[in-house]
Amino acid sequence: MSDIILALRNATKLYAGVPAIENVDFELRRGEIHALVGENGAGKSTLTKVMAGVVTLTSGTMQVNGADVAPRTPLEARHLGIAMVFQENSLVPTMTVAQNLFLGQERFYNRLRGIYIAAQQFLQSLNFDVTPTATVELLGAAKKQMVEIARAVLHEAKVIIFDEPTATLTPEEKKYFFDLVRDLKRRGVSIVFISHALEEALILADRITILRDGKHVVTDDAAKFDRARIVQAMVGRDLSNTLYGLRKNSVRPAGARVLTVQNLKMAPMVRNNSLSVFAGQITGVFGLVGAGRTETFKVVAGVLKRDFFHGGEVILHDKPVRYRVPAPAVRAGIAYVTEDRKVEGFFETMSVSRNIYLGLLAKLPGGRFFLSQREAGKVGKTWVDKLRVRTTGNTMKVVELSGGNQQKVVIAKSLVQDPDLIIFDEPTRGVDVGAIVEIHELIQRLADEGKAVVVISSYLPEIMALSDRILVSRQGKVVEEFSALEATEEKIMYAAVH
Amino acid sequence: MIAALKGFAERFLGRGDATITVPSFDGALKPNQILAKAETIGQFDAPEDLATDGKTLYLADGAALLRLDGAATTEVRHFDRAITALCCLPDGGIAVALDGREVQVFATPSAASATATVSDPSFHAINALAPGPLGTVIATDGSTARPYPQWTHDLMERGRSGRVLSIDIASGRVRTLASGLHYAFGVCASGEALLVSESWRHRVIAIAPDGSQRSVLDNLPVYPSRLSPAASGGFWLTAFAARTQLVEFVLRENAYRRRMMNEIDPAYWIAPKLKSGQSFLEPMQGAHIKTMGVVKPWAPPRSYGLIIRLNAEGMPLYALHSRVDGVNHGIVATVEMDGALYAIAKGPGRLLRAPLTMIEQELHA
Repeated sequence: MSDIILALRNATKLYAGVPAIENVDFELRRGEIHALVGENGAGKSTLTKVMAGVVTLTSGTMQVNGADVAPRTPLEARHLGIAMVFQENSLVPTMTVAQNLFLGQERFYNRLRGIYIAAQQFLQSLNFDVTPTATVELLGAAKKQMVEIARAVLHEAKVIIFDEPTATLTPEEKKYFFDLVRDLKRRGVSIVFISHALEEALILADRITILRDGKHVVTDDAAKFDRARIVQAMVGRDLSNTLYGLRKNSVRPAGARVLTVQNLKMAPMVRNNSLSVFAGQITGVFGLVGAGRTETFKVVAGVLKRDFFHGGEVILHDKPVRYRVPAPAVRAGIAYVTEDRKVEGFFETMSVSRNIYLGLLAKLPGGRFFLSQREAGKVGKTWVDKLRVRTTGNTMKVVELSGGNQQKVVIAKSLVQDPDLIIFDEPTRGVDVGAIVEIHELIQRLADEGKAVVVISSYLPEIMALSDRILVSRQGKVVEEFSALEATEEKIMYAAVH
Repeated sequence: MIAALKGFAERFLGRGDATITVPSFDGALKPNQILAKAETIGQFDAPEDLATDGKTLYLADGAALLRLDGAATTEVRHFDRAITALCCLPDGGIAVALDGREVQVFATPSAASATATVSDPSFHAINALAPGPLGTVIATDGSTARPYPQWTHDLMERGRSGRVLSIDIASGRVRTLASGLHYAFGVCASGEALLVSESWRHRVIAIAPDGSQRSVLDNLPVYPSRLSPAASGGFWLTAFAARTQLVEFVLRENAYRRRMMNEIDPAYWIAPKLKSGQSFLEPMQGAHIKTMGVVKPWAPPRSYGLIIRLNAEGMPLYALHSRVDGVNHGIVATVEMDGALYAIAKGPGRLLRAPLTMIEQELHA
């Protein structure tokens, strides 16, 4: 039996005549963990969707165990032993874990108790600590991931494809996920995983394949790669000096105080939090998961409400404000760029232009009675050009864009409102390195233009590369402030932990 | 009726005027230890104010006017009452406020007698002086209800009777430039306008020649006090205490405050202090003073030491701190001379000196 379980030869997939992948050769060995990396739009998702039967090749061949196959549906791929765990999980949130596991395998008469017992036994055999009777929407991201994996294994998948599996996981959950993947490998399952976190590829993978602009660049053992080599292969240029590389030797001086948060409380996440944000500066907010950073700024932006009793004060331009919904905050000049773009950032089946136009409408008091397609197109085009969103046209749906370009649409949707205070929450999560550089440049430009910019990030190099001042959050409040000139990773992490 | 209901609802919910919050020391006010590291060049019984003519430093210590020559001090003159404010005039003269009720002007600090004495009956708590235009002296009168030493009483009574006065030295005529201020404490000329500290409203305002007022620096986490010009442009602003949520709470609880004022020794009131840690009877806000064995800068201070460097527009550039674990608290006056900053820490009765080069180094350390 050949060592190769799955292979693609000269794989080409065209969308409206534009190649998403072009003459790509790919081989997956039995029991290996194979990382697929590349910029957004490099063709990783298309390649994996071909394997999983979500899309079919325009030309080229696919082989499973040496036999030519062409799965046209995910079900056909599943029958070939190929399962895919999507970035946005495909579980039914209102159903239980067991029901999700056996979804699609129901019989004419289903005995719920029997399903639960079977699910319990199966999950235990995988050593997964998930309650089969729990409703999926109540599970954390890691547990949901486990259910997805369990479902793939239940379908006797020999190849499991993960699309950005760690994007929504906490550091602890990531570690657990890595253990799961290694366990699957021990069981002889071959893993393909897409990740923008290059360190993960280096740590976890046996081999790494790099794609660029829909073409295969290199495949090699992970041990022969380092971060710089991967980045250079991904973008075709050396980014080591532009991406997190340079240490700041000057910071922007603070302008007028735009935002003051005083003794803000939102139990249990925000505890007596106080901070200020100044115009013309990038204020970085670092903290571990659960430090209350996102919640604090969601209260500022009217997405969440502070405590009803003695919830503290939010002062914008020297005036106390209390927003119960985001609309008045938007009109007051606050833009919040969400960390969860797929859920909160855009309407995925609407066009790029319409999404950006919606941002503008949110700024107008009472919205508009009649919507102008022409205005939407014009506004959309302006911002697509300005932020260099890579689309085939303004009418393209946002769901069809790569992660980095989706993020640019979310940012454009906020910037079209001409805000004074822009809050970026994890602005480059799930975004490739090329787009990261562009988004960072945009954030810097906004601060140079005199806007008050807040960047919330769990990634220390990003915080250090962007911020003029760094606030460290711990247990619901800001506990330390550093100038970017004095900050070191050790100092910041010490403040975040102790 | 509606106002009463609104007031009740706000107090119940902790919103609006009943919000008990204080801003944090961040941005330009980020804590450091510069004031704690400043050199102590003298210990005095009752230091109150500083003045300089650019060459010599004068210090008001109780009823005595002292001249400092390096570390040595010489008594220039002695008054029968305590000096509450001091300033050097452009013509080489010096003006002093005595007991907050009288202003005397001398042609030179050592002149035999005063060239002008102004004791308007409305003077009550003159606490800062600054040279004004056309032979005038500008004074801030903190309160018309309480004398200067009883500033804590004025705060607890939520006093709003502060005034800014223009005193014509030649004629003795007194003109009120602003009134109804929430404790005016510190004044400095800024172009044609005057910058004035309004302590109980935690802000610095600018008063234009036409009398109009605008806020320059608002919502400070401290009680601002005297101002002085910086040699390279801008100003130095002192703050004699930091705000705390506990004091803000007490200021909103009228019945509690009245009872506290009636029954408790003022030394142990829940109120800002110039020094602390003297007695176990002192109130302490319930929170973590120490974390991991380190006294944290965000621990609620009973007393604090702070000087804020302002630019010409009144925007803060940086600040010098003596934090809750320091002793150089109750900073009421500062002047810049010969490349160094001199400051009075009224709490411990110290005269401090911090070279500007040292400040620069510490800020960039």
